[in-house]
Amino acid sequence: MKTSDASIVAALAALCVATNYVLVSVPNVKLMDFLVFIGGFCFGAFAGTLIGVLTWAVYGVINPYGFVLQVWLATMLSESIYGVAGGLLRKSLSVTGFNGQYLRVSVFFGAMGFLLTLIYDVITNIAYALTLMEKVPVAVVILYGVPFTLLHEISNATIFGVCSIPMITAISKIAGRETFGVSKK
Amino acid sequence: MAFLKSKWVVATLVILCWASAASFAAGYYYYQYSDLLIKTRGKIIRVNLGVNYGDGRPTVWFNGTEARMGSTLLDVTMLVVNVNYTMYPGMGALVNSIDGVANSHPRYWMWWMWTTWGGWVEGPVACDRYVVGDNETLFWYYEDTSVSPLPKPP
Repeated sequence: MKTSDASIVAALAALCVATNYVLVSVPNVKLMDFLVFIGGFCFGAFAGTLIGVLTWAVYGVINPYGFVLQVWLATMLSESIYGVAGGLLRKSLSVTGFNGQYLRVSVFFGAMGFLLTLIYDVITNIAYALTLMEKVPVAVVILYGVPFTLLHEISNATIFGVCSIPMITAISKIAGRETFGVSKK
Repeated sequence: MAFLKSKWVVATLVILCWASAASFAAGYYYYQYSDLLIKTRGKIIRVNLGVNYGDGRPTVWFNGTEARMGSTLLDVTMLVVNVNYTMYPGMGALVNSIDGVANSHPRYWMWWMWTTWGGWVEGPVACDRYVVGDNETLFWYYEDTSVSPLPKPP
């Protein structure tokens, strides 16, 4: 990882932490997942994972909703899903870029945001159920959380769909387009 | 991204998202409906409600409190004690005080329900969203919420 890339990764992690605290009163609507995904997309899966882990290392420990070790570890590791997915998609997208298919790529990113969030929510809900709800069936915990889960998925689908291409393009300009292989003709 | 050239790939992903959301929503409403059906049998229900003020006083029990079927925990609580609450749109009611004992960080009014399978279980929703069942035992506990996991009722 180049120094300039590392500095942007650190900046993205700081942005994740800051936006999390700004949006702390809005349950399940956060920019963090999107930023981790973008970090993975632009700088590779390792960098994306790093952003997620660094963010949770701060936000998970100093959290107004409290701290539970098992849930913290689960969220920290699950967050890396976004970074890894972003890193894998980067390789595929670099072949052709976004040229002429902005709408299709935006819908694709939106769908990816939805599905990745679904996986994240299921994993973290299971960890929450096993840790804090002891004898409550896991399925019941997941079903009780459905309104929050859907809010999380829909908000992430919207953010991923609308903001991904502009954000990737902006980072390409800042860090040098050759870094990503994303064509912006 | 070669596979994106086929519109069916994107369409399939969108349908997959829709199917997941619909399945989760259906599961949620089925569970809520089943729960409500069980709880609303009969016209008058009796609820056991405990209140612990967290100041060393013994728990006050209002056993056999009668309420209409379909009543929420907030409805039942207001039958037996003085409640001050704030309604948050989309979230539900937050109880600010009971009998003059007001929330003061980190101590808040939390509610618990007694279950046969897990003993005391923390209330999963706001008190005005929870429809009480016949012979159910519920508990208001003024407790320190900075402790995790939350201390269960005494």
